[in-house]
Amino acid sequence: MSYSVITIDKIKDDADISTIKLLRSVAEKCKSKLTEGGATRFVCTVSRSTNNEFNVDGGVFSLFRTVFADGLSITCYIGDKKGSASLNSSLTDDANITAAVETALDGAKAAEPDPDWEVAPNEGSKIFLKGNLDFDRDGLFDRLAEAMDTIKAKYPLVLVEQAITNHARSISLFFTSSGTEFITISGSYGVEFMYSAHDGDNASSFFGSGFTLEQIDKPFVETGSFAESLENIQKQVYTKPFKGKKTGRLITTPELSSELIFSAINNFAGEYNILNGTAVWLDKIGKKVADERLTVTCATNDPRFVGGQTYTGEGYLTKDYSIIDNGVLTSFDISAYTANKKGLKMAPNAGYNPIINAGTKSIKDIIAETEFGIYVARFSGGEPAINGDFSGVAKNSFLIENGKITSALSETMISGNLEAILNNIVDISSEQELDGTSVLPYICFDGVTISGE
Amino acid sequence: MLIDLVPDFSKNFAKGSHSELRIHTNKTRKASLLNGNLIGNSRSESSGVSARVYKNGFYGFSSSAEYSPATCLSVLNAATSNAEYYASRLTSGKPALPDLPTGSIKIKEDFSDPDQKFYIDVIREIDEHIKNTYPDLDSRGVTAYADSMEKLLYVSNGYESHSIMPRSYIYVTLTGANSSGEPIEVFRAFGGFGPLDTNFRDPSELYEDIETIYKQLCDKKTAVFADAGFKTCILGPRMTGMLAHEAVGHTVEADLVLGGSVAGPNLGKTVASDKISLVDFAHTAFGAPTPLPVYVDDEGTKAEDALIIDKGKLVGYMNSRETAEFFNMKPTGNARAYAFSDEPLIRMRNTAVLPGTDKLEDMIASVEDGYYLIDSNNGQADTTGEFMFGVTIGYEIKNGKLGKAIKDTTISGVAFDMLKTVDMVSDEMEWVSSGFCGKKQWMPVGMGGPSIKCRVNIGGR
Repeated sequence: MSYSVITIDKIKDDADISTIKLLRSVAEKCKSKLTEGGATRFVCTVSRSTNNEFNVDGGVFSLFRTVFADGLSITCYIGDKKGSASLNSSLTDDANITAAVETALDGAKAAEPDPDWEVAPNEGSKIFLKGNLDFDRDGLFDRLAEAMDTIKAKYPLVLVEQAITNHARSISLFFTSSGTEFITISGSYGVEFMYSAHDGDNASSFFGSGFTLEQIDKPFVETGSFAESLENIQKQVYTKPFKGKKTGRLITTPELSSELIFSAINNFAGEYNILNGTAVWLDKIGKKVADERLTVTCATNDPRFVGGQTYTGEGYLTKDYSIIDNGVLTSFDISAYTANKKGLKMAPNAGYNPIINAGTKSIKDIIAETEFGIYVARFSGGEPAINGDFSGVAKNSFLIENGKITSALSETMISGNLEAILNNIVDISSEQELDGTSVLPYICFDGVTISGE
Repeated sequence: MLIDLVPDFSKNFAKGSHSELRIHTNKTRKASLLNGNLIGNSRSESSGVSARVYKNGFYGFSSSAEYSPATCLSVLNAATSNAEYYASRLTSGKPALPDLPTGSIKIKEDFSDPDQKFYIDVIREIDEHIKNTYPDLDSRGVTAYADSMEKLLYVSNGYESHSIMPRSYIYVTLTGANSSGEPIEVFRAFGGFGPLDTNFRDPSELYEDIETIYKQLCDKKTAVFADAGFKTCILGPRMTGMLAHEAVGHTVEADLVLGGSVAGPNLGKTVASDKISLVDFAHTAFGAPTPLPVYVDDEGTKAEDALIIDKGKLVGYMNSRETAEFFNMKPTGNARAYAFSDEPLIRMRNTAVLPGTDKLEDMIASVEDGYYLIDSNNGQADTTGEFMFGVTIGYEIKNGKLGKAIKDTTISGVAFDMLKTVDMVSDEMEWVSSGFCGKKQWMPVGMGGPSIKCRVNIGGR
């Protein structure tokens, strides 16, 4: 479950109760100091967190890290003048709190007024409980050791360059001058593996697999596409550089599908380019911007996700929404400030947690129907140009010829235009991958330039 | 400036294990104007203490945002307990760390920390200049950014230190449209070591450089696609610096060598043309301070230069104390942590290709059909040495002369193959230090070099 809304009496842990008392006392100090200093509006978050982390480097256990952190972020307004300060220092030291408030106030005093900054009206008081609060130290260690043993036994060419598994737990208090107060108590496990495959002096490119989990009740290697990626990387020790230049199809793995599509959304409908007026989709709300089979939902409240965003930076409770609905652009991915500045509508959430709707064909059939193309798991490319032109190296990739994967590739570049390829989708796979923060399919695009020596 | 609340802390370090205590503060200041609107105006500070303990072949680490003598002791105990947990579940087989030279290097003076109004005033002045001088722009962005890291380090063996590394920059982005109405953009960072009020006392000193990037934007209005494929290219100093950092530097970080990087089997072998030498400088290069000087790393190793490639031959790695012992090399002070809550990792400091003797104009004249690539917006590399850099400013070279600007593109290659194609190296040298390197943690790094002529794969149509 993404989160539940609870009442204060449901919090049984004495340590949590005393942490909430501390956060509330810091909040009260901030409120009174901000008001005394002339702030007319403010949005603040105060938090306390613990992170426990196991590290593996070069295939061996190396470091066990425990971090205790305190955080305070303040955005305040004197009239329409905005200043911000953030602090990751002890909350039990009043001098730190005073300094953070004064820094934010000084920033506001130095700023010019801008009437488009916004603080959400009172959205009420809520306590959100997210994920799994209990760190199972032995359980996490055992899962990591099990994964290392499994990889050694089943994927003998694979070397784990680095593995990081952690449990992060935090309590935060978000409060605004409008009276909104959100307490969030959250905990989750994170798993990240970076690995490559080696046969003598021959080596594949590195690849990363990662996911966010509420429970660690399943072997890591059986989670998401980890096993498939381990299989594939063993096939990428011996590669061939692509020769020449040819236009063909690009099949992206679920993670790369999301990366490309959100690169387009960020470039064409994102905060910065909308604000500076150069976004290519500035006049495209309600219009077709992609193949009609493409629906992209930003679902921060989806019950399948661990720890999605429940409120925006301005203090609005979030809602899930489809930014592209059957190929039609329905919203920009912008804050209330940019929306006010440009006379547009703000996005109902600012977190991604993407869901890309599945198609009808299996990835196996999509590959079988590809006469010439490239299957890519990782794209190493520069930032796309504002107009969407992109180019970069196709990493962890395979050549597809006459419906079959024929060889692993290296030194192969792909280039094209993001706006063009969104309108040139051949198929979206029926399979979707869930990694704890997204639900994504494979996508096959046409009209991509593939080039090499 | 950090006050030392624990001057005798070393007495708490247990015998038989290596221990570190770091009191650490990071500060960042930022103000941004977009078309005259102040869209960013923030300051942040992070501070606390951390301890790392190496015991029975494992590291334990712990940190707290609270800085007090009691917390210093508690994080030391927690770090010890974490190392002992690993040892209770596993057998390491790793030896104890060898002893290091000992000593102390401590700064005595702080740097200025101008108030937020100064940041806003500087960018407002620059923005007004751009707005009035270049009215045909579609959009303009000006940001002032500064950060600093201050560390007070105690170690059970090695150098104790107190260091501060401040840096500050002005970022300028200019946006226009090409002849088809498509948006085009140029970006440049100015600045280096030191606080903002030292580096930008007179903002008008930047106007000549802003004129240069405006002209580049004008050139991009009629830019053409590069012809995709392997081409002869001259990489300008900022591109060469990126190459030194991304394509070579990461592969010779010893933790990545242990992770299977291409530098492992190539130690002692020829990996580049004999015109190429590459050094990770500690604090002084070519008789001047490096952009981001490091005098003692966060393990207590006194920093020295690390020679990586000597006239084309791979001769060394960048090491921590642990990897130096493994590879039987001398540690040179590359283990660095970004924040108080971070453990030291092997990081680059100021990584550069050394200049040669060629003149840039002769290099351009020697290219019949190729490209002169000046600026990049980002770069990535693989442990195989395969790299890619985004190219944001570049020109065709036709028959030895610069031609049309090219549209934004990407170059790629395999470092140890591409470096063997280098046949000319210019006699100039330029440093860049405005970026962060990402490797589990962020880290400010310097990179630099001359112009080099080589063969690389360029994207395009």
